[in-house]
Amino acid sequence: MHILEVENLTKRFGGLTALNNVSFQVDEGEIVGIIGPNGAGKTTLFHLLTGFIKPDSGTIKFKGENITGLEPHKIVNKGLARTFQVVRPFRHLPTIANVLVALQSPRGNKQIEWLKTPERKAMEMLEDVGLSEMMLEPAENLAHGDLKRLEIARALATEPELLMLDEPFGGLSPIETAYLTHPIQRMHLDGRTVIIVEHKLHALMKLAERVIALHYGEKIAEGTPQEISKNKKVIEVYMGKAM
Amino acid sequence: MVERFKFQISAMCDDLASAMIDPSVIIVQGAITGAIYGLLALGFTLIYGVARVVNMAHGALFMLGAYIFFALGPLGMFRLEVAPALILAAISLGIIGIIIYRLTVHPVTGDVLAAIVVTVGIAMMVQQLVLIAFGPNYQPVPPFIEGAATFGGTTVTYSRLLAFAVSLVLFAVVLIFIRITKIGSAMRAVAQDREVAMLMGVNTTTLYMLTMAISTSLAALAGILIVSSTTLVAEPYMWQQPLAISFAIVILGGLGSVKGSLVGAFIVGYAETGVAYLIPEGGYLQGAVALGIMLVILLIRPKGLFGKHIELE
Amino acid sequence: MATNFLRRVYTSFATNIIDVPTRLLAFMLFLLLIFLPLAQLGSYILYMLTLANIMAIFAASWDLLVGRAGQISLGHALFFGIGAYATALLEQFYGLPPWITMPIALALGVLAALLVGFPCLRVKGPSLALVTMVIPLIASSIVLLYALAPITGGASGVPVSSFFPFLVISQQRVAEYFLTLILLLVSGTILYKIANSKTGIVFVSILDDELGSKACGINVTRYKLLAFATSALFATLAGGLFAHVVSGAGPATLSLGYSFLIIIITILGGIGTIYGPIAAAYILQILDRYVLTISVPVPLEWHLLIFIVVVVIIIIKWPRGIAKFVTDKLRDLQKARELEERGKHVWKTYRKKEKQPIYED
Repeated sequence: MHILEVENLTKRFGGLTALNNVSFQVDEGEIVGIIGPNGAGKTTLFHLLTGFIKPDSGTIKFKGENITGLEPHKIVNKGLARTFQVVRPFRHLPTIANVLVALQSPRGNKQIEWLKTPERKAMEMLEDVGLSEMMLEPAENLAHGDLKRLEIARALATEPELLMLDEPFGGLSPIETAYLTHPIQRMHLDGRTVIIVEHKLHALMKLAERVIALHYGEKIAEGTPQEISKNKKVIEVYMGKAM
Repeated sequence: MVERFKFQISAMCDDLASAMIDPSVIIVQGAITGAIYGLLALGFTLIYGVARVVNMAHGALFMLGAYIFFALGPLGMFRLEVAPALILAAISLGIIGIIIYRLTVHPVTGDVLAAIVVTVGIAMMVQQLVLIAFGPNYQPVPPFIEGAATFGGTTVTYSRLLAFAVSLVLFAVVLIFIRITKIGSAMRAVAQDREVAMLMGVNTTTLYMLTMAISTSLAALAGILIVSSTTLVAEPYMWQQPLAISFAIVILGGLGSVKGSLVGAFIVGYAETGVAYLIPEGGYLQGAVALGIMLVILLIRPKGLFGKHIELE
Repeated sequence: MATNFLRRVYTSFATNIIDVPTRLLAFMLFLLLIFLPLAQLGSYILYMLTLANIMAIFAASWDLLVGRAGQISLGHALFFGIGAYATALLEQFYGLPPWITMPIALALGVLAALLVGFPCLRVKGPSLALVTMVIPLIASSIVLLYALAPITGGASGVPVSSFFPFLVISQQRVAEYFLTLILLLVSGTILYKIANSKTGIVFVSILDDELGSKACGINVTRYKLLAFATSALFATLAGGLFAHVVSGAGPATLSLGYSFLIIIITILGGIGTIYGPIAAAYILQILDRYVLTISVPVPLEWHLLIFIVVVVIIIIKWPRGIAKFVTDKLRDLQKARELEERGKHVWKTYRKKEKQPIYED
């Protein structure tokens, strides 16, 4: 059984078809990358999978269960979490409180072991992404790179089985990018399934086992990173037609 | 209790029958009321759509317009003719609107709650000023023109007809202005996406002030039109009802939608007229119609007919 | 064993209250308030302070909903009015004593919050503000309906007996003062604790970013309803107390005036703090009565006008409330003090190390 099955997913916004009959599967424990130029429908796909918008047609199955059209928080509590392309921390709260919110969800709450306080658990999650020094700092004072890590810590707080990262390396320097690959690899080692949307192809190709390429809302290629980088259509889409 | 109810129903049927003979009464009067309400709601919607300000002083400015018109006009201190008094009143309210905006709303830009509280403060200040200047008593206001016309079985006063015409013309003028002129395009742009509009070189502060001027002038004109044609009386506490009606129309039509304001205005106008003519002692209930509509909309579809639902910011 | 317990209580008290200057101040104020009636100030001032207590509860309840959960409610008078009318009508038609009518009124208030909450949940921001403002207006027109006047008492309202009918008026005032003061302390503490609990953290997350909160697995709808219900509970309490203290429940309790009064109180006191509005309720009440007594030659219309002008100016200058401004200033002063202390310490260490004669300042 695939952990995620997407079948014939279509979404239109007025006259614009953002996603057109997209289908793919993801197996447990995989790291899958999704690439495509801007406007290809990657973020729309994320919104659809996590319940923030409803598809016009098609189904989404998570662990065999049909989650199409469910509310976002219900999907999260089933084990599917996401981060956002543009970081959205809770500005008025300190960093640790940002993680505490996720731990207040039903699923997050279950993960707190006996004799451990939620604060303790939150501190551990911050340590995992390297943010423990900023614990009491209001989230609005954090640098961009730290906020990206906070996004991941928050998503991990609900102990998801499938984690969807929307451009996690966006706006990061090469050093920060390299630093961030560690938590992502650790997720993979923990047995979590990861889907990453990313523009930084070299970072993505190093992490992903399989890559799906989207263009104008349609799947144009699927395969290993090597196969994708040699795929004629993908090159055409990114580089333009050969002269 | 049941007997009284039965009696009321049969009385209502009689009234309905007599009204049924002349549905043109409701059709005509409802249209006139709808048109004037449209003008009232347009100002409210404009300042919200462009500047995201819920102007709680809208009703107060409506009232202030009527009072200034009265003071300038034939029965007031300045004894001007009707037409110049009207224009002068509208212009002065526009200027007052700019001053109010610059002094009180601009400093709290972005803070929805503070803007609401501040505009309520303005409304109450206007109420007190009117109270001090004109006294607490009901001030009778003469209609624009004496006389009435009769056609198709109904009688409509000339003042009401004039108000109807002026409202429609002004509404159309504003719509054309928004569609055609550069400033109008700037207003539409800012209403859709403020930041991009700023990147395109739109000076939002100036634009907000201009929109406020238009909005307050429209409110004042609506006030003058309604008071001089329909209610024929002015008192310092009359700012709450127009505000409630503006709310009803805007909740019904959808906050920020000009189309919605027009449609909503006519629906509210017809509902009020229908209640006034069809239900015995309906005059008392007229004020509650707006509220009743709001209640129904809130229960069924809080974002209104044409309200925009912003899902992902 | 008893001494151990007492010692623990004292340590907890010393570290929680005495060490923190603001809390010590609040505690001393509280003591002052408790012993105030002994000063023989007269029934009128006690009455005034009783009303301040009630308004403080009302304002604090609003602060939780708006300052923490971010649900802008411009119609909180709805619950105030429900509290007043519920206790009044239950007394009038069923002859029930206050200790039965009040809990029922509270339950009705919470029920109303859940009912009203549903349309409110589907709108945000300015739309929510409008929607909440309109609901008590509708309720007040229903109450004023000619047809319902025999039940609701129409414009003149419903008379309500005092909490303590067995006491003389002057003693009643004292008793009411203590009752409302104790209820204020209890309500304020509960509201403050909720605001600073994990639930309060979730409330703030909803205020900051509703979608982000959903992405954390939070059932935002449930938390919004919780915020509404909790806030309504205390607002209804305030309304019920009000009815018994002023001996009546009238349509004014549902009016925009009360909705806006607490908005002004809360903004002046500091939105989101819970204790700010409580302090502001007192200050405003005292100011109001003093301004009234001092400026007697000023006619009533001017009095209200000046009050409004002052409020508007304050809100423009300090949109987030005066409490934040004051606490920020206090924190700055504290930092300056700390720097001075550290500087002195460094200076002393330096002198010891160098062992040189230094000119004394």
